Amino acid sequence: MVQKVIVDSSQSDVIISTSRLTKAFGKLVAVNDLHIQVMRGDVFGFLGPNGSGKTTTIRMLLGLIRPTAGRAVIFGMDTEQQLSAILPRIGAIVETPVFYPYLSGADNLRVIGTASGMASGKTNQHRIDEVLELVELHLQAKMAYRKYSLGMKQRLGIAAALLTDPELVLLDEPTNGLDPAGMFEIRQLIHRLSALGKTIFLSSHLLNEVQQVCNRVAILQRGNLIKQGNVGELLRGREQILVKLNVPEETQQAKAILQEAKERGADWISAVNLQVNRQGQPILRVDAPKSYSAEINALLARHNLYAAELHPYEGSLEEVFLQLTGTPSIPPGMHLGMAALAGTGATTQQPDSLPDIEIPADRKGGI
Amino acid sequence: MSVTRQTSTDGNMPLPASTSSVIFGRQDYVSVLLRLIGVELYKIRRRVMSKVLGSIAIAISVLIFVVISLGTIYVLNAPPESFAPPCQGSSIPGSRPQGSPPQEGPSSNCPQLSAAQLAQLRQDALLGVSAPLRLPLSLNIIVQFVLSAGTILIIILIGATAGGEYSIGTVRLLFTRGPTRTQFLLSKLGATIICIAIGILTMSIVGILTGQALNLLSGIAQSFGFLSAAWVAHTMLYLLITMLDWFMYAAIAIFFGILGRSTVAGIVGAMTWLFVEPILGGVLRLAGSFSNGPFVDFLKSIPDYFIGNNIGALLQNQGQYIFGGSGSTLSNLHALIVLAVYLIAFIGLAWRFNERRDVTN
Repeated sequence: MVQKVIVDSSQSDVIISTSRLTKAFGKLVAVNDLHIQVMRGDVFGFLGPNGSGKTTTIRMLLGLIRPTAGRAVIFGMDTEQQLSAILPRIGAIVETPVFYPYLSGADNLRVIGTASGMASGKTNQHRIDEVLELVELHLQAKMAYRKYSLGMKQRLGIAAALLTDPELVLLDEPTNGLDPAGMFEIRQLIHRLSALGKTIFLSSHLLNEVQQVCNRVAILQRGNLIKQGNVGELLRGREQILVKLNVPEETQQAKAILQEAKERGADWISAVNLQVNRQGQPILRVDAPKSYSAEINALLARHNLYAAELHPYEGSLEEVFLQLTGTPSIPPGMHLGMAALAGTGATTQQPDSLPDIEIPADRKGGI
Repeated sequence: MSVTRQTSTDGNMPLPASTSSVIFGRQDYVSVLLRLIGVELYKIRRRVMSKVLGSIAIAISVLIFVVISLGTIYVLNAPPESFAPPCQGSSIPGSRPQGSPPQEGPSSNCPQLSAAQLAQLRQDALLGVSAPLRLPLSLNIIVQFVLSAGTILIIILIGATAGGEYSIGTVRLLFTRGPTRTQFLLSKLGATIICIAIGILTMSIVGILTGQALNLLSGIAQSFGFLSAAWVAHTMLYLLITMLDWFMYAAIAIFFGILGRSTVAGIVGAMTWLFVEPILGGVLRLAGSFSNGPFVDFLKSIPDYFIGNNIGALLQNQGQYIFGGSGSTLSNLHALIVLAVYLIAFIGLAWRFNERRDVTN
């Protein structure tokens, strides 16, 4: 797990604040009564299934569409009144970025830069080269945009978003069309930008991606905000320790010992359950803070039971999301992969530290 | 070009200092607008379509005069006797081919023309047939083609420029970069005006120069007897009216391009207007010619409020000073007011749609 961004409290100015933000298209309410706050330095994850209103919200923040009700304030300015003062301080990707097909990547950035208020001509050539290199498009800088692959187009979109060195970067599904290596690069880029003090607003339905880069999240469902908060706080109470014993037959006995300890006052244990991994071996799932791994090990050892493997697991945003959105919850400790969440259902992924636990077939769908 | 960062507005969050190598230009309204016009012109220049349309415009300007010069070439190569009136066909001494029988009949009543007279007749024919290659008539010829084929070309160019932002989806990109939507619309109009000026001047100059070059075949020197300060002034107004014609249809293309959010809407909308107006005008006048009465008079007067007719009136009113002839029945004031109303309506509506509309997929 990559280290989360720590927000310095002295810099905790509100960058984005929405109040009762609502957008209706006829009878369809795309975003309803939305209140979110993004602080300076946040890497803010904006989560929700497709059609939950994420892109509509971003469009409202950028002034592409007008709210039916409510308001959005960015950098302390109302987007309805002072949009032209707000936009130069934002770099954004809205859905799949689109550029002029007859221009090269570099020429497109030149056009976008000039339209963004940058000095025209060759003055900003260095900056253009800089961002192209940042997204690793410098070798294709002179290639016509129409010849770019989907991943290259996405990267050019990110380059355009970063071109003016904005304070706030709004990224709407930035890893769309990218391969796993490309996704990894984007995550690294987000970390670098965050380290530079940029505020990142990342909209995505890829929960694993968000969990890896964001410090705060808001979860949207059918246009309604259902949860907002610190990722750590959301995951608190979902930590588990998975125990595989040396002698599988002793697992039931170990369960009884841990349950007894709980009854005797070990309140750090929330629950103890027995389950079976893919090989049919029994596994103990202890709902407890992962920092208590040593205590569990010692407790079992006192009863001459020895753990072959101990896997601390901090839980996933995906589980939080599925619980909050009312989707039938997956057994704790089981984790659906990004591809499954994207709707392909083709692959599953488990945390590195987890033993091989079987995932029921009906839990492999996307959101 | 100064190097600046935006300053914070009172009461708003202060801007942090940038550590990167971004160099900003001046951020006042006019500077931003001028840069956007530059961006529009750059995009137009880089499109293959613009190059194709420009090449077609130049080719048309050259070809018109090449076709006209065919008349001059024919006259130069025709035998002198072919310029004689029909009855003189075989009355020239020595003109009868050897061995052919002497002609009988009316020709014998025609007076015989000398070789000098025939040469004069040929010279007169040459003067007449080559006149469109020389100023001032060549200006009239090229402007007529500018108004017909040229208008179609500018509609395609501007329709694609305005509607293309929606068709491609780049409108989303532009509207999130800082300048206001009004500035983007004004930049389109600014770039349109520059394209129109370049297009009309290029077509006119290329056409006139081609005419002059082909006129060398006739051996008739260009006379500048028509040239005066008044002629130059009227000619400039004449060209400005031609530019106004293009701008009218370009504004219609922008309006329809924005309304229909596509290149096709921009081009088809303006083309329809261009072609339907004269047909409708003809039908209304024809309908009016069959009967009388206030309603029929009303029908007959409707074409007086059409774009094409008012542009035509303005051109005719200036053309009488340049090429001779009479002025239009419509006054300049009437025509200008009508055209101004159209422009305000089209640009105003385009602004309204551009400003208020949600930009979705």
